[in-house]
Amino acid sequence: MDFDWTEEDRAYRAKIRAFLKRELPSGWAEISRHGPGSRAQTEFSLEFCPKLAEAGLLVPHWPAEWGGADRPTWEHFILGEEMWAAGEPRGAQYMNVNWIGPTLMRFGTDEQKRCHIPQMAEGKAIWCQGFSEPNAGSDLASISTKAERDGDEYVINGTKIWTSYAATAQHCFLLARTASGAQGKAGIAIFLVPMSSPGIEVRSIPSLIGHGDIHETFFTDVRVPVSARLGEEGEAWSIISYSLANERVGIPRYELAGRVLGGMVTELTARGEFEDSAVQVRAGSALAACEAARMLVYRVVDKRARGESIGAEASMARVAVVEADHAVTDFGLDFLPDTLSGGDYPAHLAHHERAIVTGIAAGAAEVQLGLIARHWLDLPREAS
Amino acid sequence: MRFHPNEDQATFLSALEQMMEGKNAAWRTSPVWNRFDWSSDFDGELEQSEFLNCAAEETLGPVTATAMIYRLASLPIAVECAASSLLRPQFAPSLPRPLAVVESDAKHAIRFLPVARSALFIGRSQVRACILDEGGATAVESLFAYPMGVLTRKPDWQRVDADPEMVRDRWRVAIAAELAGALKGGLDAVVAHVRERHQFGRPLGSFQAIQHRLAVAAAKVEGGYWLALKAAQNLDRADAATALGYMQEASTKVVYDLHQFMGAMGLTLEHPLHRWTYRARLLRSSLGGAAENLRAVATKKRWRAA
Repeated sequence: MDFDWTEEDRAYRAKIRAFLKRELPSGWAEISRHGPGSRAQTEFSLEFCPKLAEAGLLVPHWPAEWGGADRPTWEHFILGEEMWAAGEPRGAQYMNVNWIGPTLMRFGTDEQKRCHIPQMAEGKAIWCQGFSEPNAGSDLASISTKAERDGDEYVINGTKIWTSYAATAQHCFLLARTASGAQGKAGIAIFLVPMSSPGIEVRSIPSLIGHGDIHETFFTDVRVPVSARLGEEGEAWSIISYSLANERVGIPRYELAGRVLGGMVTELTARGEFEDSAVQVRAGSALAACEAARMLVYRVVDKRARGESIGAEASMARVAVVEADHAVTDFGLDFLPDTLSGGDYPAHLAHHERAIVTGIAAGAAEVQLGLIARHWLDLPREAS
Repeated sequence: MRFHPNEDQATFLSALEQMMEGKNAAWRTSPVWNRFDWSSDFDGELEQSEFLNCAAEETLGPVTATAMIYRLASLPIAVECAASSLLRPQFAPSLPRPLAVVESDAKHAIRFLPVARSALFIGRSQVRACILDEGGATAVESLFAYPMGVLTRKPDWQRVDADPEMVRDRWRVAIAAELAGALKGGLDAVVAHVRERHQFGRPLGSFQAIQHRLAVAAAKVEGGYWLALKAAQNLDRADAATALGYMQEASTKVVYDLHQFMGAMGLTLEHPLHRWTYRARLLRSSLGGAAENLRAVATKKRWRAA
């Protein structure tokens, strides 16, 4: 066991920080004000990600064959920490890097790989994820969007909701039920749908987490060729289980939370208010929550790095991350409430705005608790 | 960054786990309503095995000692391991064990004193040690599931050449691992119980209200365990306080939930749950308790702005 970074890891982190310092424009605080899902930040990502790609910092962990450099999993994770803590200048493209690209590499046809992966590796692809529906959120297996086979095409009808990035995405990674399939998990397939297809309508939903972040997406008689299906009919569940095992720890939220907490302590110190032992105890408690989350996330990354399958450890990490995010939010609310309005403390504001989503995005944290109970504690299934 | 044990650590921990399955380490009810079960046999077996000196071995080190403390604390029987494996090899290898640790005020009841052969005092400015002669300590009745006692006369304290802050850092790591291990022992026992126990026509463990709270407890224990191991590697001051403060703060809710789900069975001395929970309650107050250790995190941490 060894809990230190190697010299190589440290140098890699320093390189990313130097890159960010050099490449993020002076107006970055304004561009990123409304979060990674905003139009401004998505458009910015189309300038920024090609530069990252050029510097070998967009998909370094991907195989060389697909524009990567076969770099270790840990470097990919360090990259993710630094990007998220800087306000995620990759915008929506972090999804391509983390899981959409790798999922296509593993399950896609040669044509699908050739069509989509190079664009992702160049930093020019924006994807959205068409999973949740008005009547299928936590219970994702109950989706009802239909994809009916019609000759060499599928005809898609249905509604997706809470879709991040839909207004600017070029493609949607869509879950739909194929008519011939069974009910539940078995009847679902994945489609790689161009968002320019006739019959797609996107409506922005005003949200707590930034301007233009989430949407309702309507599919009316949208036709896609059979070649747009990823995997076989009925295989969607096993494919996304693979993808989302990584996604549960995809966003290193504790890194931003920990840095924001550092900023808050610095501010309180400057105000002469950090001497109060009640404040110190709470700062220590919030930091401990961030560090516990970090360790549980790192354990998952370590397993991934060794090619081991990831089970309830990812759910445990997720639960700890939620707690850390909220501990830092509460610390700010209790001791620096004035910094959470107005524009003088953009980092505090960004954290406060994003923390509300921690327990919800990528699946409700309560679903994770159920997974821990079943797969870690081996408790019996709930009676239906 | 590597979370899996090296070859020596894996061999060591697997041998330890084998020893933990022996009869000396097994749960037995105490015939005399004792709240603790001091196992001098298992304590002696550990001493003989040299396991307690692993922190001094180059390929094992304090991280392995910390992993051992966690595992041994999950046993229903009590042995003295934390001080003997993280403090003694480094600061007082010649002291006979079991070793009691006097944190700052020797007037309070201190765990292991009635069975200890020596004691280590971690003061504000000094570290001292003494050999405990026959009659040097008296047992004190206590709810805590350790043999508790007080010094009967002023011992012949000898100064130990060690920085008290460094000793305290190591002690924080040791207690963090021990507390996490005690909670793990209790959690495992309660999980086994709710799998078997049927009420309302189904296993208790199939109720979501119980599942979620035990899942949160599991995440807390795991978080505390890894924080302790990380702190053991560099013995960084803020890391050590983080591990202990985190586990102490989490322990109250975990102990509450464990007892809730064990119900009246957990109120008896016939079930071992109290062995873990009443150790956890004592360890919660170690080194000033949760508030003091979390405050130490805040004052030792090198804070950086966002």
